[in-house]
Amino acid sequence: MQILSDSLIGAVTPRTDAPAKAAGRIQFTSDINIPGMMYGAILRSPHPHAEIVSIDTSAAEAMGAVCLTYEDINPVLYNERSVSIPSATYRDRTVLPKKARHCGEPVATVAADTQELAFKALKELKVTYNILEPVFDPMEAMKDGAPELYDTIYLGDEAVKIHNNIGVIRNIDEGDCDAGFKAADRIFEHHFELERIYHCQLETKGAVCKPEPDGSITVWATAQSIHANRQLLGRILGLPLSKINVKKLPFGGSFGSSIQVNTVTPICASLAMKAGRPVKLITSREEDFYDHHKYPAIFDVKLGVSNDGRLTAAHVKAVVDFGAHQIQPMAFLGCTAGWFASLYKYDGNIRFDGIAVYTNKTPCCAMQGYGNPQINFAIESMVDIICEEMGFDPIDFRLKNYRGPGEEFWGQGPTIRSIIKSSGVEESLVEGREVFGFDERTAPSSKNGDIRRGIGLARGFHTSGTAGPKEGEVIDYSSATIKINEDGSVDLITPVTDHGGGTCDALKKIAAEVLQVPLEMIGLSPAETMNTGYDVCTHATRGVYCGGAAVYHVAMKVKDKLLETAGRLMAEHAYNLEVIRDDRLGQGVVQVKGYPLKKMTVGEIARQAQIMSWGTIAYTDSYRQRNCPPCFTTHFVEAEVNLKTGVISIPRVLIYGDCGTAVNPDLVKGQLIGSFNRGLGYTLYERLAYDGRGRLTNSGLMTDYKMPTISEMPSVEDIDVRICHTYEPSGPFGAKGIGEAALASVQAAIANAVYNAIGIRFFKLPITPEAVLKELKKKARER
Amino acid sequence: MNTMIIEQEFEYVKPGSLFEALDILAQTNNVKIYAGGTDLIVKLKTSGINMDAMMDINGIPELSELTASGGNGLVIGSAVKLSRIEKHPAVKSNYSALFEALMSMASVSVRNMGTLGGNLANASPAADTAGPVICYKGILELMSRSGIREVPAEDFFISSGVSAIRPDELLTRIKLPAVNKNTGAKFIKTGRVKSDIAKVSFTVVIEREGSKIKSCRAAAGSAAAKPVYLRTVSESLKGRIMTRELITETVDRIAGIIEPIDDQRTTAEYRKELIKVIAADAFSKAWSLSGGKLI
Repeated sequence: MQILSDSLIGAVTPRTDAPAKAAGRIQFTSDINIPGMMYGAILRSPHPHAEIVSIDTSAAEAMGAVCLTYEDINPVLYNERSVSIPSATYRDRTVLPKKARHCGEPVATVAADTQELAFKALKELKVTYNILEPVFDPMEAMKDGAPELYDTIYLGDEAVKIHNNIGVIRNIDEGDCDAGFKAADRIFEHHFELERIYHCQLETKGAVCKPEPDGSITVWATAQSIHANRQLLGRILGLPLSKINVKKLPFGGSFGSSIQVNTVTPICASLAMKAGRPVKLITSREEDFYDHHKYPAIFDVKLGVSNDGRLTAAHVKAVVDFGAHQIQPMAFLGCTAGWFASLYKYDGNIRFDGIAVYTNKTPCCAMQGYGNPQINFAIESMVDIICEEMGFDPIDFRLKNYRGPGEEFWGQGPTIRSIIKSSGVEESLVEGREVFGFDERTAPSSKNGDIRRGIGLARGFHTSGTAGPKEGEVIDYSSATIKINEDGSVDLITPVTDHGGGTCDALKKIAAEVLQVPLEMIGLSPAETMNTGYDVCTHATRGVYCGGAAVYHVAMKVKDKLLETAGRLMAEHAYNLEVIRDDRLGQGVVQVKGYPLKKMTVGEIARQAQIMSWGTIAYTDSYRQRNCPPCFTTHFVEAEVNLKTGVISIPRVLIYGDCGTAVNPDLVKGQLIGSFNRGLGYTLYERLAYDGRGRLTNSGLMTDYKMPTISEMPSVEDIDVRICHTYEPSGPFGAKGIGEAALASVQAAIANAVYNAIGIRFFKLPITPEAVLKELKKKARER
Repeated sequence: MNTMIIEQEFEYVKPGSLFEALDILAQTNNVKIYAGGTDLIVKLKTSGINMDAMMDINGIPELSELTASGGNGLVIGSAVKLSRIEKHPAVKSNYSALFEALMSMASVSVRNMGTLGGNLANASPAADTAGPVICYKGILELMSRSGIREVPAEDFFISSGVSAIRPDELLTRIKLPAVNKNTGAKFIKTGRVKSDIAKVSFTVVIEREGSKIKSCRAAAGSAAAKPVYLRTVSESLKGRIMTRELITETVDRIAGIIEPIDDQRTTAEYRKELIKVIAADAFSKAWSLSGGKLI
């Protein structure tokens, strides 16, 4: 996997879909319109916890609406998320429920000839509820006598009784924690709390489902995995997979919100099958606010440290309030444990006690990091505290304790592990110290005035994909089809979805580089479940590393066939031929190694193969990565705190991203900058608050869910983004991921900088101006 | 709540003249005025409105006029878009606090739709332009079939969402009188993020005579159930020599007067803290802009 000097890999190339996106010419799910289509609308529960006694649909039906309630659906019990293996997946929901378990949960749905009529019909649905007592606080939910959301759910095919709303318990114990703490000279214990926040992906979730004359169904849906959608719909609709075709569409971001099959998609499909007509069901922003949240977390962290600056043991207790349905808090706890375990060595002594609790709130699903930003905030804040109190240099301490090359990394919980082969940690910490002037920072006590600045740092990572040398709880492989057309252009068919980060552009570049054709000659074919092999999902920062590896693998096979065909035509042995890109010809050229006078263009070869009836030069296969290499990040942040208003601003940031080979450096930098903005929101602004009756205080409106924009960011010249000089031997052309890593350490870096500015440690997010003033007053009183 | 479509049924009327508009108001119950729609349409979707008809006033030529009046005064039609006002050179030079308020509002796209008339008539306690219009002694012209009333801006706001406009009246123009020499003004607002409704806002317009305050008008937003003109504080400053101590004393008084609430955006407690900071800042900046030196 060598990179040539004029390689496309590593070159800044404009996004191929950018002009169409900017001009509004790309079709998203909501742009799909089909003649004879009906419009769907969802009735959502106004109650956080209520049994649905009956639903009278007669008035709505009299208006011409088709209605769907719990009585109409196939009562298949499922988990919307299917990236884990079935025996490690809890199932607790149906398409529509008999019992509403959170405000905003879909209760019934209608389809009508116009959207207006659909909403009018919705008002005519008469639901009789038996209102039940709700529970919102996870600690309350675990007490005896608390209202119970479930009696029995399923883990794989095994029935599981639910007690005290405890959905999942996940305890992990490695090494000898007790001995590790005994060996420590100091023990540090702190409590951290992170709130629910909202993905706020640009596109709200939607689906268009069209029953076909042959009994099959075609589905256009907001999806991170077309195959996951197809498989779940197959179970729910009771159809063979060959009768379900899910189309791959561009979509407006995700941040993880559609790793699972979106709740609306089976609703829309069931509605369309009942109506026997195409149905379009697009949700509004306020519906989306009640659809999915980031997992909140409560952590109690205990770290043992020796006087020579070594972490000797670590114990994390985690409580997670995941809401009304399981979208895999089991995997979430496992992953959180893994991020925690992989940050530092702790002499191999790790204990994790995780509990995930049902409450009458919106279900939580993965959001950029799957527990990583949460636990990173706790651990990286603790490391800062330890260094401050024990007098260690924060960079030296991290360098001494971090898990690096040759050590094990948990890519997706305890069952998916591989050995770290590439790491930009040292480069980022050592160079960053100089570049940012980290050593010039002064102690909080030496600062004065109403405006104070501080410097902080934190390091983090995320996995690239979820594959290890041994199979574990998570499925991970991808597929690709590549064929060479008779003019030398190439069709790439991939089930991999692109969230907007440029994943599919990267896949095109990988194919173009292997086959040595100009990028413009690679076409990205429309893809759907009927013409692609399986890809688990674009999640876990695996698009380029795993999806790209499948494309690389298939492209190499196609290249072999190409050289073999060329050999026959040129009367040469294939091994004596090479393919090189000829930008002047706008083609790839196959030539005898070291003798460029004997050559044929790729187009000529494919055309000749056609004339001779030898067949198309093409290949299809699946491919599984066998590593889950971490992509590392480091954030150096300067924070400015106004002591009179409590307002925090960020004048300056230095970001290091270690993605191995950057397939497109501009897009990598874009991800790092964009994620800094999201981390800024998580740390300083965003919070989903409930009103005590199970409703969001912002009513699902953006007006009262404030996210930072470019106005809250440091100015462009004060955002320094650097890509580490690493090469991942297991990645396509040395690439790993970056997407989720880009967020992991933002929160702790900002909080550490705030501490350095004002000497106040924040253990809860967000750090609002109100919270800052409160703490400043408390500190003043204590003096 | 459904933000996908407007389900409510109502008449939509778009009169071409002022007379026609006033006739409609006189003859129809429950008419809501559509100027920019940036508040009305949102309310229509999120909370529903008791409304039989929506009257679009964008077809009335007089209401879209923005003209200079005597001295350096300004007359702004109630349907003039916020972005047009912010681009008018006289606004930036003579009514800098209004300019600052406009620039602080929402986003460019919202300012391209929203109007000054709408921002005032909506009577939100957080209306950003209310403070500057009050402090610049703005007069609101209310017209009906029975005649014209001119209401000083400070008397226009009654409570949250309620103004002095009667059901048959239309807010037609906002008149800003000429600004005297040696006048300095400042509008300061704090939101959760830049593009936000105010946690609290403060406006002050000071006319200076030597080292003394000749006249002063101060107003606070998001600090009570309506935008408030701080009359007693403003009047008590008349004739005083401007000092840092005076500012400190004044902002403490203001924090004691205002009656903020806890809401989505912040707490009453924080508002009381914050107004001291931004009012002190506004006083010293306005004074300096008036040509005064702070002692």
